Amino acid sequence: MIRLRNLERSYPLGHGQTVYVLRDINLDVTEGDFVSVMGPSGAGKSTLLHILGMHDHGWTGEYFFDETAVHHLKSKERATLRNERIGFVFQQYHLLDDLTVYENLDIPLSYRRYSKSERAALVAHALDRFQIVGKKDLYPRQLSGGQQQLIGIARAIIASPKLLLADEPTGNLHSSQGEEIMELFRKLNAEGMTIVQVTHSEKNAGYGNRIVQLRDGWIVDS
Amino acid sequence: MNDLRFAVRQLIKSPGFTLIALITLALGIGLNTAIFSLINDLFLRPLSFKEPDRVVHMYSNANDRNLLELPISAPRYQHYRDGQTIFDGFGAENINAFTLTGLGDPVQLFGGKVTSNYFDVLGVHPIRGRNFLPQEEDTADVAMVTENFWQKRMGGDARVIGRTIILDGVPHTVVGVLPNLPFSWIGPNAEVWTTKPFAIPGFSYERMMRGTGFLRVVGRLKPGMTIAQARAALPSLDQSYRTQSPDKIDSSATMSLKTLPEDVTGNLRPAFATLLAAVAFVLLIACSNVANLLLVRFSGRRREIALRMALGASRASVLQLFIFESLLVSILAGVVGSGLAWQLVPLVPKMAANFLPFDPETGVSLSFPVLGFTIALSILTGMAMGIYPALQSSRADLVDGLKEGGRGTSGSVRQQRFRKILVGAQVALSVTLLAGAALLITSFVRLNRQSIGFRAENLWIGLVTLPQAQYPDLATRQHFVERTLAALHAIPSLQSATVSGDIPLLAGAGSQTLYSRADGEILPVDKRASAVSHDIAPDYFKTWGIPILAGRDIDQHDVSDHQNVVLISQAGAKKVFGNENPIGKTLLVTSGSTPVEIVGVVGDVRSRKVVEPNDMEFYRPWAQENFPFAVVAVRSGLRVDAVTKLVQSALNTVDPGLAIAIPQSMDKIVAQALGQARLMMWLLGIFAGAALLLATVGIYGAVAYTVEQRTGEIGVRMALGAQTMDVLRLIVNQGMRPVIFGLVVGLAAALALGRLIASQLYQTSAHNPVLLVATMSLLGLAALLACVFPARRAALVDPVQALRAE
Ligand SMILES: Nc1ncnc2c1ncn2[C@@H]1O[C@H](COP(=O)(O)OP(=O)(O)OP(=O)(O)O)[C@@H](O)[C@H]1O
Ligand SMILES: [Mg+2]
Repeated sequence: MIRLRNLERSYPLGHGQTVYVLRDINLDVTEGDFVSVMGPSGAGKSTLLHILGMHDHGWTGEYFFDETAVHHLKSKERATLRNERIGFVFQQYHLLDDLTVYENLDIPLSYRRYSKSERAALVAHALDRFQIVGKKDLYPRQLSGGQQQLIGIARAIIASPKLLLADEPTGNLHSSQGEEIMELFRKLNAEGMTIVQVTHSEKNAGYGNRIVQLRDGWIVDS
Repeated sequence: MNDLRFAVRQLIKSPGFTLIALITLALGIGLNTAIFSLINDLFLRPLSFKEPDRVVHMYSNANDRNLLELPISAPRYQHYRDGQTIFDGFGAENINAFTLTGLGDPVQLFGGKVTSNYFDVLGVHPIRGRNFLPQEEDTADVAMVTENFWQKRMGGDARVIGRTIILDGVPHTVVGVLPNLPFSWIGPNAEVWTTKPFAIPGFSYERMMRGTGFLRVVGRLKPGMTIAQARAALPSLDQSYRTQSPDKIDSSATMSLKTLPEDVTGNLRPAFATLLAAVAFVLLIACSNVANLLLVRFSGRRREIALRMALGASRASVLQLFIFESLLVSILAGVVGSGLAWQLVPLVPKMAANFLPFDPETGVSLSFPVLGFTIALSILTGMAMGIYPALQSSRADLVDGLKEGGRGTSGSVRQQRFRKILVGAQVALSVTLLAGAALLITSFVRLNRQSIGFRAENLWIGLVTLPQAQYPDLATRQHFVERTLAALHAIPSLQSATVSGDIPLLAGAGSQTLYSRADGEILPVDKRASAVSHDIAPDYFKTWGIPILAGRDIDQHDVSDHQNVVLISQAGAKKVFGNENPIGKTLLVTSGSTPVEIVGVVGDVRSRKVVEPNDMEFYRPWAQENFPFAVVAVRSGLRVDAVTKLVQSALNTVDPGLAIAIPQSMDKIVAQALGQARLMMWLLGIFAGAALLLATVGIYGAVAYTVEQRTGEIGVRMALGAQTMDVLRLIVNQGMRPVIFGLVVGLAAALALGRLIASQLYQTSAHNPVLLVATMSLLGLAALLACVFPARRAALVDPVQALRAE
């Protein structure tokens, strides 16, 4: 499903120097995989995830997504592809404070081609599935961290992506809340969703079927 | 002090905000102070008379014929003077022109012939000598001059009292020197007054006493007497005059009173109201603008407030911090605004001097109370806007404040609503102002395009007053004109020249005469319509460029012992004769019901005011009717002073004792006639421009600042799939919503306020839909641009950076 070849990401440091954050990344993720990216802080895990999620375009190398050569796509085409295939979960949840749970779930749909009734149906379905119907009119600050992340995941998968990217989804949560989230991931994976998560926890990585180790921008073990 | 330093650092940290807030407030303060100072000095400064609001100006009105606020006749003045019990003093002035000889070249002067008590009634004390004495009223040749006259024409002679000056060929003894009098009462050029007020130049005593109005009558209310009581006392005097003098042409008139301040500023009031409203709007826009900026700014710092309080700061100290910051902006703006006003104040009278005959003596100075007021208002705005969000934020839950990551946090819902109201209000105020300006500009364009009926370009005019002694009658004055025209025709560089009795569009142009058809029912004199009458020498229509539409011009046969003839205006012909042919018909004109035969119909002329609709106008041959005022008009390609020299030398060959007064181009008179409208258009245009600019800057500032604060939110939205267009739409939508609201409110306000300026509009409906739509579109477009720029910046947000910054 994903094929990275010689992918590199660097930032200019000034004075004509550059710093490499990702080096010569070669990675294959097949459909149905549940990959955990691990590594010390600053290794480039988030950077990799943002590249996979097509938020970051400043890289070189080859990136194939389902045989589509992402590196040849214009940014608009990438955005379309991303909106069709990918969901994103953040460590800090990033729910919009001014919007209710319901409205937060609706955001991704509003940016995709869904009719009003389809949107309502999808949100209702998500609320049902995650058993948060009772919270639909609450604002994020009225929820616990675990509940917020639950919404974050519901929001990420509401448009039925094939690939779910999660950057330390349990990083801000208690271990029991974290376990719930991981159970949820396992279930999603079992239903066929491909997942790439960044995690610092061996235990969380254990929920996946594969671990990719990053060190200073290099894949050292996969 | 520490807080102050922190405030300074905060302002320096966001120079964009500081600059916008500063410019906005400074513009509001500067414009307001300048305009208020101007209005204050030019118009609202009290007349330099004693208790001017106790002095009233009496007018005559023929309400049934819609002839309002006319001067008073001599018999009526005398009747009221002898019968009234409401005034302490009751005086009259007969405005007059004099030829001064014996002090260098002959010059034309303006001033009046007054009752002996006139200056006592006004409460003016001479700076030298004395006022006139009662025994001097009817017979004495005495004069009072202004300080200007004394200084300029007599070199400030210490022994001025008792000196003799020659006016219209008659020696007059100077008995007093008056302080310079307010321009708004005496006009631009008046500098000498004599007694013997009851005479109309060119009229016999008998004709004058028929009831022609020519006196400006003033009375000083008795102590304790109110103007309402005085008004109530008038009808019985009106009634007794009517019964005693049933045959006077003004016998059925009714009198009205105006206090002097009302009298001199009354017709400017709608214009003031409009100007004041306009500047107030600008200030309000500026304040709401800054309020909005401060609100956005402070509410974006809830986290900082929460943190400070978590660290032990008291609410008061947090408030103080924010108030310092907004105070600093206000005070800085006050300083810059004062500087701006300082620069603007002397500029506007200079600009206005081209349009309006302002008193050149009037110095305009910065009004400090006004400056204080505007600065206080801006400081108040700053304080309020500092306190409001600080209070709100500091009251908010500490944990909430700390927890908030700033995603989509541009303040609480209530704050956001308040800010939207501010933006909406700004837009509404701007639309109203813009609509008003658009109406005035359109009106001015129409006014400017209005055909005045004659060709003012390349037309020179000058006034010559003919002294009674040398020119006592019709024949001598006719002889003067014949010789003068002959002398002018001999000058090859002049295309054509003529003489007439009045200058169109100048105050009091043309005499009013009563008229009636001679056939059918003949109305009594006091029921007849009134029309402007011009006495004209040959070549008048050619020189002025007025077309003769039917019949003939006057010719050399139209002299005093022939049939009296008249040419009438087209509008008058239609009004009186409808579809009949007026040529050959007879009209009865003047108080003496002189029969005149209509020999021609000419094009309509706006002879009194550009805005006054066309009406009947009479043109009578100078040889058959004339007064001792001769207006020389010359058409040529030469400059004004060149023509003046030529005409003066021609005049010298006829009578070296005569002088030309107010020589000028007719263009200038036309421009001055449009002066007030032009000034209003300019000022309102400037205010509207400022309002548009401020509103646009305000919207831009608010939207840009919001974008800055919502970077995180925008990043999240982009990560969730929002594309460039989605982000643009989000920001523009949110930015434009209060704008649309403001546009609607502004439209309603513009429709409502249209009535306020309706009286100042010429052939322009206050509810002109095209203008309103254009105004709204202009503002809408400006607002859209103001939103699009920051929205574009929002669309360029790099989601990776935005999310990382969290
Ligand atoms: N805009 C940038 N300019 C320069 N260097 C950057 C920039 N963004 C990220 N980096 C660097 O790239 C490296 C990788 O960052 P990244 O966020 O991918 O690390 P990470 O593995 O996710 O770490 P953590 O576990 O702390 O989240 C870091 O050394 C970081 O300093
Ligand atoms: Mg990371």
